[in-house]
Amino acid sequence: MALTQVSSNKCAGGFQKVFEHDSTELKCKMKFAVYLPPKAETDKCPVMYWLSGLTCTEQNFITKAGSQLAAAEHGIIVVAPDTSPRGCNIEGEDESWDFGTGASFFVDATQEPWSTNYRMYSYVTEELPRVINANFPTNPDRMSICGHSMGGHGALVCALKNPGKYKAVSAFAPICNPMQCPWGQKAFSGYLGPDRSTWEAYDATVLVASYSGPQLDIFIDQGRDDQFLSSSQLLPDNLIAICSEKKIPVIFRLQPGYDHSYYFICSFMNDHIKHHAKYLNA
Amino acid sequence: MNYPVSVPMDLYEIIGGRLDVIEEEAEHQELSRESTTRKACEDSLTSPTEAEDGHDMSTECEIVMTRNLLQEKVAEMENFASHLEEIFLTVEENFGRQEQHLEQHYNDVLQTLSHQYDDRAAGLEEEKKSKLEALYTQLLTCGRALDASKDLIEMAQEIYRSQDKRLFLKAVMPTIKRIEDFAKEETELSLSTSLEFNTPLADLSDVKTMMDTINVVPAPSAPVINPQMPNSATQTSLRVCWSLFSDDTVEYYELYYRPLLEDTPADSSSELHVSKVKVKETHCTVTATNTTGISPASEKALYMTVPSPPVIKQRECTSCPEAALIRWQSGNTNPVDSYTVELSEMDTDGTESGITESIVAVPACQCLIQLQTGRRYLISVRAVNIGGSSNRSEVITVSTTGTFFYLLEDTAHPCLSISEDGFTIFYGDEELPITAMALDDNTFTRCVAVLGDLIPVRSRHYWEVKVDDETEFRIGVAYQATERNSYLGANNTSWCMRHILTPSRHKYEFLHNGWSPDLRITVNPVRIGVALDYSRGTLSFFNVDLEQHLHTFHCHFQNYVHPCFGLDNPGALTVHNRIEAPKYAFI
Repeated sequence: MALTQVSSNKCAGGFQKVFEHDSTELKCKMKFAVYLPPKAETDKCPVMYWLSGLTCTEQNFITKAGSQLAAAEHGIIVVAPDTSPRGCNIEGEDESWDFGTGASFFVDATQEPWSTNYRMYSYVTEELPRVINANFPTNPDRMSICGHSMGGHGALVCALKNPGKYKAVSAFAPICNPMQCPWGQKAFSGYLGPDRSTWEAYDATVLVASYSGPQLDIFIDQGRDDQFLSSSQLLPDNLIAICSEKKIPVIFRLQPGYDHSYYFICSFMNDHIKHHAKYLNA
Repeated sequence: MNYPVSVPMDLYEIIGGRLDVIEEEAEHQELSRESTTRKACEDSLTSPTEAEDGHDMSTECEIVMTRNLLQEKVAEMENFASHLEEIFLTVEENFGRQEQHLEQHYNDVLQTLSHQYDDRAAGLEEEKKSKLEALYTQLLTCGRALDASKDLIEMAQEIYRSQDKRLFLKAVMPTIKRIEDFAKEETELSLSTSLEFNTPLADLSDVKTMMDTINVVPAPSAPVINPQMPNSATQTSLRVCWSLFSDDTVEYYELYYRPLLEDTPADSSSELHVSKVKVKETHCTVTATNTTGISPASEKALYMTVPSPPVIKQRECTSCPEAALIRWQSGNTNPVDSYTVELSEMDTDGTESGITESIVAVPACQCLIQLQTGRRYLISVRAVNIGGSSNRSEVITVSTTGTFFYLLEDTAHPCLSISEDGFTIFYGDEELPITAMALDDNTFTRCVAVLGDLIPVRSRHYWEVKVDDETEFRIGVAYQATERNSYLGANNTSWCMRHILTPSRHKYEFLHNGWSPDLRITVNPVRIGVALDYSRGTLSFFNVDLEQHLHTFHCHFQNYVHPCFGLDNPGALTVHNRIEAPKYAFI
């Protein structure tokens, strides 16, 4: 459980740090970024977990999303893990950008050769919170989750599969219905096998239909000029339709002119931090 | 037109110099009585020590009693003596005054007699002179007649003696004619002045009157009426004060007052008596009367009763956690110099705490009052003029929990009706005839909408709106001057959330200047929280049931805004006020 500090930079009155540790769940060294707001010097703070999208590491979010000022203002620790195990020497792990390294889809793989290391769902929901709560001044009862694209899918799935565990959830351009899109179908068949019924456990649109638990308040931003929206990788309408039917509260904002990039994310980051702060600091 | 009132009367009080004197005397009496009782006390304190000496008790008792009796007598005597002394002084003073008065009076009488003597002496002299003048004139006339006859006689003799017959004949006829003429002239030979000497009787009646009134006090001089004292009136009574000259003796005063009427007074006196109750401004004059007579009237002075209590316009009062805006009507035509707003905080158990704060000299019929958050206040208003302050108006309760406002009903579109409590608006199905569309400048003419009367305080405000799932509505804020012929949200002076029913779904827009972000809401809000933060320049909307944030406008409102509520199809919505803003409303 020993942490190695990789970097530490003062930021927005607090510190943006990166650590490395040996993950028991993933059986490899993993890096994660943690932003400690000024409030963390004296108080226990709630934690927001951020899951990045395809091909990203822990660096993309902390260098591009501009979350630190808002996190400092609301006194929130922001944790951003890497998006997959790395250097596990699995055959084919680096062959494509949308499968293997940087493309874990935040599932626990059941298929060889991925099932040993590709257990990102358990890592994100169990091991990482344990590590964070053990090493930082957190309030373990107050955590929330947010993500972008594949990470948005991961965030929604984590929240829907663990009612009450996350006080808030939000997403930027999430893959809402992976069973119905090319990215999801490729990843799920690789990690989970051909039986589509096993995929349902990791599909937000399916999960939301049977959700039962504390009231959710899902907040989603989507760029209207997002190429992956038009190529039907994200399918937010499917999620909205189910949520409307099942009376699951969603605010979905279609932002005209914005694409899928971190330029889009940083434009609305403050609104998301505020959304999380409302529930984390309630 | 003047109505005398015999004093004393309940409504009028007299403060005069005489009363002061009497008061002084009363004080003297008390002082002397005090000193005697004090002596008695000292003596009774010494007696117990004497009793211990072993004297025969009964004798001692007797002695003590006798002594006490004597002491009492002495005290009485002293008392009586001091009374006598006072009476002596008063008698002396009164006699002094009386003597002065007598002397004055006799001087007056002597002066009058001397005047009369002078007058009569002068009259006699006059008479003598005129009589002598008349006699002398008559004498002269007789002399002249005598001379004339002598001349004639001489002339006749001369003619008679004349030798020349021709001359005689020539002169005799004219001379005879002259003698005839002369004989015709009659000389007044009666005495032109009367021989009687008339002595008219001396008219001593005024002297007699003077002598009769020699023991009577003079009629008083005109009292001096004082200008109205501050706080000396009530709503139905006045305290009119005047003073008199110290030498005057007055049996009673008469107070005359003439109401100042704003409208033309009716002629009949009975009607005027009725209006006396209503009239609040009056001219007062006073006369003083004693047995001798009535004084001239004092100068006129303007007096007024206090105003009627103002009437708080409950429906135009508005509040927020930091302040309240109270509006009222003067409630009377009486002159009002200013208003006093009184407020006291209500304790948690609903009783009025003793602490009352007053805001004085409020010149207009409204007042913005700074208050503490989360309390309840009792607020009332008084009107003030020179006469004093009115009774307090009806008390209203102001709660500083949340923001409170009523709707500005004069802005409502003719198709909107508003419930009796003022918080639910209805847009009915029936078409209004064009005649019912009597519009004034303030009325919404296109958008079926109404404004709320938000307190002009640049702080945080929160209210909620309850709507039906099927109601198409617009709710938000707008500047007071927002275009009345435009739709809410369609211009740059209004910001609103709009609900549209499409055949496929519920659509929500957050409109300003005709533009809305593209937004999907999966659960239709039916209770909407609206949070306005002037300092941060935000207007946020929430689904209250879910505590879900829906949208936030960012705008630094240059002017004060009012809540606005519109209905785009027949239906209803209800405004909920005085709600403490939830924590999430102002993150």
